[in-house]
Amino acid sequence: MAMRDLVTGGAACAVSDTSSSSSNPLGALANALIGSSSKTQERLNEAPVSTPATSVNGFYQDTPDPMRGLPGAEFDHSLSQPNTQGSEFLRGFRSPDQNRFSDAWEEIHHSRFLPPQPNIPQFNQTPSAQLQPTMDGSPQTVLSSFLHSFIGSSHGRIPFCPTNLPMLGLSQGDKKCIRDRSSIMARHLFADQSEDYINAQVNALLSSLEIDGSVPAQGPFPRRLWELEEYWNESQGPLRTGLQANDRWIEEFSQHKAQRDDPDAWAHSFEQQYGANGWVSQFEQEQKVASMGQMRHANVSNMAAMEQTHMLAQTLAQNNDPKFQNSKFLQFVSKMSRGELIIDDNQVKPATLSSNGDWTTQYQQQYGGSSWAEEYVHDQLSHRPDQWVKEFTSGDQSKLVDDQWINEFSKLHVNDWVDEFGQQVEGAVGESSTDNWANAYDEYLNEQAASRQQSDASRGVYVFSDMNPYVGHQNPLKEGQELFRKGLLSEAVLALEAEVMQNPDNAEGWRLLGIAHAENDDDQQAIAAMMRAHEADPANLEVLLALGVSHTNELEQAAALKYLYGWLRNHPKYRTLAPPGLSDSLYYADVARSFNEAAEMSPEDADVHVVLGVLYNLSREYDKAITAFETALKLKPQDYSLWNKLGATQANSVQSADAILAYQQALDLKPNYVRAWANMGISYANQGMYEESIRFYVRALCMNPKADNAWQYLRISLSCASRNDMLESCDSRNLDLLQKEFPL
Amino acid sequence: MGTELKSDSIIELLKRFLETDEGAEIKKKINLVYQFNIAPKKIGVNEVIYTVDLKKGEVTKGPYEGGKPDATFSLKDDDFFKLANGQLNPQIAFMRGALKIKGSLSAAQKFTPDIFPKPAKL
Repeated sequence: MAMRDLVTGGAACAVSDTSSSSSNPLGALANALIGSSSKTQERLNEAPVSTPATSVNGFYQDTPDPMRGLPGAEFDHSLSQPNTQGSEFLRGFRSPDQNRFSDAWEEIHHSRFLPPQPNIPQFNQTPSAQLQPTMDGSPQTVLSSFLHSFIGSSHGRIPFCPTNLPMLGLSQGDKKCIRDRSSIMARHLFADQSEDYINAQVNALLSSLEIDGSVPAQGPFPRRLWELEEYWNESQGPLRTGLQANDRWIEEFSQHKAQRDDPDAWAHSFEQQYGANGWVSQFEQEQKVASMGQMRHANVSNMAAMEQTHMLAQTLAQNNDPKFQNSKFLQFVSKMSRGELIIDDNQVKPATLSSNGDWTTQYQQQYGGSSWAEEYVHDQLSHRPDQWVKEFTSGDQSKLVDDQWINEFSKLHVNDWVDEFGQQVEGAVGESSTDNWANAYDEYLNEQAASRQQSDASRGVYVFSDMNPYVGHQNPLKEGQELFRKGLLSEAVLALEAEVMQNPDNAEGWRLLGIAHAENDDDQQAIAAMMRAHEADPANLEVLLALGVSHTNELEQAAALKYLYGWLRNHPKYRTLAPPGLSDSLYYADVARSFNEAAEMSPEDADVHVVLGVLYNLSREYDKAITAFETALKLKPQDYSLWNKLGATQANSVQSADAILAYQQALDLKPNYVRAWANMGISYANQGMYEESIRFYVRALCMNPKADNAWQYLRISLSCASRNDMLESCDSRNLDLLQKEFPL
Repeated sequence: MGTELKSDSIIELLKRFLETDEGAEIKKKINLVYQFNIAPKKIGVNEVIYTVDLKKGEVTKGPYEGGKPDATFSLKDDDFFKLANGQLNPQIAFMRGALKIKGSLSAAQKFTPDIFPKPAKL
């Protein structure tokens, strides 16, 4: 439908749009429709054309021959008038493929019946009361009523008369928008009229509004042609190397043109595939979302494009014919109208420009990942595309449908135009929540890179640092122990890595490395290192406990339970308490009972209470866990990791204030305890004190920039604290900047 | 115990969290009902269902009984864990097909990692 207008309108946007957008969405839209979904294009053109173009309207007869009025008409000899738009379209894109394209096009026309006989459209001849616009009130009202009167003119079949309006103070953007939209709208409104008539109407409107209508109202300019050709050629390139969808389409078409026996088949199969009302509900559901984010980051021309397709979608959606409702074409248009899809080069792409576009991406990818066009083309194979064409063009066979088209177009909810626009402008200001959903692509890419590393670590493979200065050190273990004692955790990690690279079976090297990682708030690496320590020394109690703790932190309950139970079984004093043969199928209750027995046996052993505390964390019996840790702390008050365990338990049982006191104790004993710093951040964040939490996260990260969890938490806190300005430095891990911004 | 999900811990934490003042803020901010169908290994298989009612501030096991939840998320246990930790962005999860959404997309959009309290580390 009036695709030409989308095309020309698009070029107009590019000409007049001096804003930041260097792309031309409308041109691109047309481009992609042509490039990747030629068939749609065909349909798009076909549909309105199939409605009687030779209305018996008196006004219309006064207008000059539309063919002559159309620029470039001198090339157009063979095609009859109702095909004007389509052939125009084809000519507009003088592609290398033009001939094949035109051939196919002509095939359609010549093989089917003569141009449809005029079906006199059953327009409601209700001269609207809105025909005379109100000329007073605010500029908004004036404009609104003026636009209504323009729309009203379509009901009455009365040419729209230019009117003198007061100064409305329209901005360039407004003007362009009105110009683009009115061009498109006019094609909806006067679908049964000639191009000239439409242009006259639009010009009348535009001149009244003092908008320079020359650009859209007159056919293609050289510049535009040039531009379109560019697009077209661009779009052809990939296609050629790819599936050659274009050629395929034509071939398919010729294959199928002979089999026009069952016009409903195509529609039926869609219906079967998607259910009669599937689309409608989907549309309704997503409508809300779309309108929220749609306009947010879209530039003016994008808005226009979206609006236009939106109008189209609405019109189509009103058609109650289930065949229609289920067509993928309709889905496509509606998606586009909601700004979910934009068109770039020859591909239908999700709208990455708009903030909610990511949802679209996902949607589309879920849909199969391949371009819509491909899917569409594919469907054609089985669904006999030509039926659709036939259905809507052969007036004698399905006159009813023809009439429906006319009705749909005349029923167009044009009033929405004005209202909607106002709404969307408002909507663009509020709604900050959508911001969180932006930037997902970047994140996605980052995550992709990171996840490779992470997945290694999560599989228990230790990831060594690059560029380790301690490699070749004389005694890296000693150096590592020294550094660890000094609290230089990240340095200690490097030294210990050098050690275990030299001596892969050094259990102590691995163990301390694991401890250093745990204190550095990296449980994945801690687990990986501890696993190696466990291999080298399966009975080491500290290793078993550390593994139990780290798995608990990672919420890996079964693994945690296994190692804690292993601790009991390997303990010289308590191993008798552990019933043998249990290790295969561990029940939490059994393990807990055994530990309680151990605690009763030797209440002075802090370690038993520690393990018990971890166990209660596993079962989320936090009160008991707190008691256990407190008991252990009475026995070992200088154990900073115990203070942290107590704090973490309190935090997890939502006693954040207490937790902070415990962490403070831990940090007094070990100022470089990264885990405690990060936990502090968590506690503040969980109390909604995001600004404070940021400071603690940043502090933790300064000590260990590799603490991925802290980075993720920092990011969340930044957006919760409305410090989106710092998100970028978070993503680029710019600690200098963060530290400057959030000193502790 | 062996079949426990990581999500259980997160959900439990959320439940406690919702009873606090800060939890009440979240409730006020979101005011929607989410249902989570959490699968141990494969989406749709052996799902454990939780209802997170951020209107009332309640977390219950089982499907929502007060009508239709505003949005239903189906995902794997591991992904839920990552999601709650901020390790995995909901859109990305959705993009990869790791997160299926039923219901209102605008409701789904309000589901962000910051509604989950972060677990502290021992």
